[in-house]
Amino acid sequence: MSRPATRTAPPVRPVAGARAEKVPATVKGGRRRGDWYAHLFIAPSLFGVVAFLLLPVLIVFGLSLFDWELLSEPRFVGLDNYARLAADGQVWHSLWVTVLFVLLCIPLQTVLALVLALLLNRRIRGVRIYRALFVVPWMATPIVMGLVWHWIFDPRDGALNRALDLVGVTGPAWLSDPTWALPAVALVNVWQHTGYTMLFFLAGLQGIPQEMYDAAATDGATPVQRFFHVTLPLLNPTMFFVSVTSLIGAFQVFDTIFAMTDGGPGHSTEAFNFTIYQTAFKEFDFGYAATLSLLLFVIILLVTLAQVRFFGKRTTYDLS
Amino acid sequence: MKRTLLHAVLLAGAFVSVFPYLLVVLTAFKSQGQLNSTEPWLPGVPPTGANLARILEGDFPRALLNTVLMTAVLTAGQLVFTTFAAYAFARLRFRGREPLFWLYLATMMVPGAVTVIPLFLIMRELGLVNTWWGLLVPFLFGTPYGIFLMRQFFRGLPAGLEEAARIDGAGPLTILLKIMLPLCRPALGTLAIITVISSWNSFLWPLIITSGEDTKVITVAMATLKGGVGVDYNLLMAGGLIALVPMVAIFIFFQRHIVRSVVLTGLK
Repeated sequence: MSRPATRTAPPVRPVAGARAEKVPATVKGGRRRGDWYAHLFIAPSLFGVVAFLLLPVLIVFGLSLFDWELLSEPRFVGLDNYARLAADGQVWHSLWVTVLFVLLCIPLQTVLALVLALLLNRRIRGVRIYRALFVVPWMATPIVMGLVWHWIFDPRDGALNRALDLVGVTGPAWLSDPTWALPAVALVNVWQHTGYTMLFFLAGLQGIPQEMYDAAATDGATPVQRFFHVTLPLLNPTMFFVSVTSLIGAFQVFDTIFAMTDGGPGHSTEAFNFTIYQTAFKEFDFGYAATLSLLLFVIILLVTLAQVRFFGKRTTYDLS
Repeated sequence: MKRTLLHAVLLAGAFVSVFPYLLVVLTAFKSQGQLNSTEPWLPGVPPTGANLARILEGDFPRALLNTVLMTAVLTAGQLVFTTFAAYAFARLRFRGREPLFWLYLATMMVPGAVTVIPLFLIMRELGLVNTWWGLLVPFLFGTPYGIFLMRQFFRGLPAGLEEAARIDGAGPLTILLKIMLPLCRPALGTLAIITVISSWNSFLWPLIITSGEDTKVITVAMATLKGGVGVDYNLLMAGGLIALVPMVAIFIFFQRHIVRSVVLTGLK
């Protein structure tokens, strides 16, 4: 902690002569002057937060009570949009697609990331390079990689089915097959996020003191027991963070679907965010699209709260 | 034996991670004929620069320039406004600090998917659809996430740091710029990298708010390349190569920093 202190010295010296007169003056007016500066510092970001985050949320609430096709005047319809939502099979289908997508992605991605982190949390040759290579997909522009994977999954010319041909297997039509399209898109999502998730687990694993494992080993715990009774419980905070953030992301999936399937074939990959986009910017049904956004908001909020309760209930260990 | 198996597993994983990138590079340098006559994972011999030349003839260079501009402006805005706000929240005392910070935290919970429609309507009301302002302004003033990150960092600095300077009569602005800023270069680096990546890769907002050449960014340009039945994969991969190279370059140069910063942002 001594380094910052020495660093502060040079800028202080030039104004040292002002000490005698300045101090009494700021004692009384200091609070107000501090306020003024603080407000000035906050102002731009507060404008951003209010105008582009809070106001939009209020607008979404208000807009959900209107029927508005942009060109006409907005028409107040009360709760009509909500009634329509309740009876809209396409919307519930889209919600179901989203839930399936999340269920296909998150468990696989989390388990894979944890396994990779366990494999890389040891001294092996090239561990740095492996780590870097696994994180590479996270940097990729989702829309670009969506297009690349679209080609990989091509039924005839795609790399996947060509490779399967070599071993004598005829691959399905993937993205044009309603059964395989969603798993394929989910797989791309797993590809993109596993390495990134692994980094968090690695950090979590490195925060577990060796003594805990030593103690468990002394008590005769097998490696499997050590994993379930030492590693996993101590990873609880990491697991909480990873689970909350990756679920929030997966519920809003858009780019990958836009690039790979456009929601098809036959709505089989039309996740909720895609439906919102279609409703607003293809059908110009803005009031209804706002109602759909609100539903997504509530769902994400509930899922997050459920995780707060789930992870909060489990024992956490304070190692500090 | 066990070691060999471990390396085999890791190599397989690394291969899957990198394979799509490899495909982009191989295909970008293949001719149409080579694309049809070789397996996707084999290189075309001899390699051709024709696809790159072709993509650089169209509106793609303009889209690339637009993306660079957008990324630069958004990153600059994020760094400047976030630093000021985070410093105030972390180290200054002022009326309304706690409730305001809670407000910021609450807005972190608002998913992007929810704000897109109202943001579009706000921009439409202001006549900013299909303009640079419309593209940039909603994300110019720093994100609550960035402010949270920087605030945590400022709070971690030793408490007495400003005292000496304050006693000597330095104002908050001097203290921030001369004393605090040099200390938070690692945190600013982290924030910059995250902002560069997310701006460069952003798609939904540019797709909605822009339509003309002047403001078209590279992700939107890529999406339009896909249109139609017969996709020109040579051209598409050449475009993909151009879009991906800057991200890969950043990754190679800042690899260690990125790995460290990802961990830092998540677990504070």
